[in-house]
Amino acid sequence: MRFLFVTLLGIGLILPSLVQARPVSYPGGWTFITMNDGTLNSAYVHYSPTAKISVGYTFEYWRDRELYLNAARVTHLVKRWNKPDSQANLYFKTGFGVAYSDAGELDGETSAAGFAGLAADWEDRRYFISYENRYTEAGGIADFFQQSARVGWAPYEGDFDDLHTWLMLQVKHSPESEGNFTLTPLVRFFKGVHLLEVGMSNRGEVLLNYIFRY
Amino acid sequence: MKTRLVIIILFFAFSVPTFAAHPGGTVYADVNGLVCAFCAHALEKVFGREEAVESIDVNLDKKVVTIHFQQGQKLDDATITKLITDSGYAVRGLRHGD
Repeated sequence: MRFLFVTLLGIGLILPSLVQARPVSYPGGWTFITMNDGTLNSAYVHYSPTAKISVGYTFEYWRDRELYLNAARVTHLVKRWNKPDSQANLYFKTGFGVAYSDAGELDGETSAAGFAGLAADWEDRRYFISYENRYTEAGGIADFFQQSARVGWAPYEGDFDDLHTWLMLQVKHSPESEGNFTLTPLVRFFKGVHLLEVGMSNRGEVLLNYIFRY
Repeated sequence: MKTRLVIIILFFAFSVPTFAAHPGGTVYADVNGLVCAFCAHALEKVFGREEAVESIDVNLDKKVVTIHFQQGQKLDDATITKLITDSGYAVRGLRHGD
């Protein structure tokens, strides 16, 4: 298990991923993202002053940990590889804010909190692979590492204004949690500036993500 | 004579609307990294802010961005390249149309 964990982490540090479909936008662009699955409900708004950076605010509720996090977040596009038939990206993300706990003995505790991680992705018009990781530290309330990876396949190549459909498989690894691997088949749809993801994990938990770019 | 007249009328009937649709001319940009339609809407947003631009078309199959200009207005190649780069892509080359 430890070998698998280290391998996945290693792959994540050197390979290209992306769950959030471009966490950095175009200059002057705003993006709203909400992500919901068996462990997390989150809302995130960011603004990109340049094509290389985004700044925003994120609210997260980690249900299994009964942890609330409010944080300012910065994402930096470290490197983009634009090829004739593909694109790959490497991002560094970090955030600082305040955490609040509802859990047992920690009920009512607040603490300064921060997180940092890498995200990378590669895609062409048919295939997609992504990876991201993150370490979160919230004082005496919580500290945890999480990583996830995705593979995706588009059953057809849509034109610019078409409805696009991707079939994806997500693996999430939470080393500190019981049953620490979660497998989620999902469908990604996007058209125009709207992106929707719907899936269900091997634990029967619903995944529902939505992104709006304006 | 009659045949010539019909040909001339047909020529103008089909060609005039074409010229009128994009009177300011067109530039075709060959672009690297153009694989995701959701991300490519950045091009519409970035070029949409430019007064000189009437509209753009994105062709994901050919990896070409077509920029149509308003009559009497243009953007120079350096500006077009910068706008595409700002949208997150790399320009392979620009071709000038009408």
